[in-house]
Amino acid sequence: MKKKIKMLMVCGAGLGSSFACQMSVEDVLNKMGVEADLDHCDISSAVSMNPEVIITAMNFKTQFEQFTISDTTTILYLKNIVSKAEIEEKLTPLLKAKGVL
Amino acid sequence: MSIINFIITNILTQAAITIALIAMLGLILQKKSIGQIIAGTFKTLLGFMVLSAGAGIIVGSLIYFGKIFTEGFHMQGIIPSIEAINGQAMNELGLGSPIAFTFLAIFVVNIIIARYTKWKYIFLTGQAILWMATMCTVFGYSAGFRGATLIIVGGVVGGIFAVAMPAFAQPLIRTITGSDDIALGHFCTIGYLFEAGVAKLVGNPEESTEDIELPKGFEFLQDTYLSVMVVMVPLYLITAFFAGPEFGGNLAGHTDYLVYAFLQAIQFVVGVYVLLAGVRLILAEIVPAFRGIAMKLVPNAIPALDCPVLFPYAPHAVIIGFVTTTIGTVIAMFVLPMFGLAMILPGMLTNFFAGGTAGIFGNATGGKRGAIIGGIAHGFFITLLPALLVTIFSHLGFANATATDVDTVAAALLYAWIITPLMSIF
Repeated sequence: MKKKIKMLMVCGAGLGSSFACQMSVEDVLNKMGVEADLDHCDISSAVSMNPEVIITAMNFKTQFEQFTISDTTTILYLKNIVSKAEIEEKLTPLLKAKGVL
Repeated sequence: MSIINFIITNILTQAAITIALIAMLGLILQKKSIGQIIAGTFKTLLGFMVLSAGAGIIVGSLIYFGKIFTEGFHMQGIIPSIEAINGQAMNELGLGSPIAFTFLAIFVVNIIIARYTKWKYIFLTGQAILWMATMCTVFGYSAGFRGATLIIVGGVVGGIFAVAMPAFAQPLIRTITGSDDIALGHFCTIGYLFEAGVAKLVGNPEESTEDIELPKGFEFLQDTYLSVMVVMVPLYLITAFFAGPEFGGNLAGHTDYLVYAFLQAIQFVVGVYVLLAGVRLILAEIVPAFRGIAMKLVPNAIPALDCPVLFPYAPHAVIIGFVTTTIGTVIAMFVLPMFGLAMILPGMLTNFFAGGTAGIFGNATGGKRGAIIGGIAHGFFITLLPALLVTIFSHLGFANATATDVDTVAAALLYAWIITPLMSIF
């Protein structure tokens, strides 16, 4: 039993678009056969949850750059946060680096 | 028989249980394991109780604000908040269960329409459906509908909105995102189309907002709760100042009256935060079920998603839209009372999401100029519609309240101006 990788999808209120993003990520991971622990939340709470991966929209980049993020967290910025093609393209190298793929 | 009666009168009237049962049904339909079904059902139950607690906090803060506002300015000032309306309808009017069933009915009608017509939109923004269900239930109830009729009429009205709004917005969504993969599922669409129309008249789409350098100081506005706080704090402080130390002090107890006002402003945001955390818990179980079922039943379905999905396409337009919409709502706050309408204060959550999205629409049809002028017009427009509802709401027993989200307001006006008069004929 490998430890599941913890991913967090983030948007402004942590309600709608981060959740839509989570469902797309779930589809992509299912296709790859990777099991992960997925959740979504708002940008104010995101950093305190210490996930291994944060997936969020491009427009939050400047915000995240001002936060102190632990070294164990990687952030992926997406242009279209529900595009499975974009998620797969940006997530694959990361999962390979983490040795889960 | 008495057991069935007990279930109907004591259990199904508890909205928390109703919505948990709906989630359970969704989990069973997805053939989840027993463990997952139990966990999901209880999470939904917890979510609903958290939502109610959040609504209580919001209402508490708004009641305080209403008092100091009336004292300070000798006017009725109303903070429009669909969240507060939802909380009051569930907690005080006992409409929680019909709202939960209407919520389910809207999903069902949405799937039926998408399955049998050429409009393949599946509305996946759960909280927007919840607000729509709230408005349809409250206004249907006041039109005299009860029981199954109330739920079916609400489901049909809400279901039509859930397909029509994404369909109306789609041509512009295609322009913004460059594809038909996603649609917009957010019940402020009438406002977006309004801004797009104004922007088209006054601007030029070639001069995009994305080519301007925005000051760095604006970037924190991307953070929803922070941006709401930034507006609420001065609003409460200025109002408390006008209400004076004596009046404010009576409400504040042992705390200094300005410090108390400051904390109450934050308390409002706390309420929103808690309420939305509850909504998040509920939707986490229900939306995937709905999505799974809809995608199975409707080939080529297009998911209609929450508005921030569009934010990365034009981040500058979002901030410009938020700021200009807020300016428009402030202008409307002063202008509408001159025409005998209520004084509606800026509803910051809506200004943030609807304003930001409207900015993207304005930019798409009219560039910088379109986004700015269209944004101010949009702010005025989304204040005018809720103002028309105030008197109706006060008849229903909602003191000092009105809703946000223009599509849900439009649905309410449809009930108030068309369905209710028709009902009285028959």
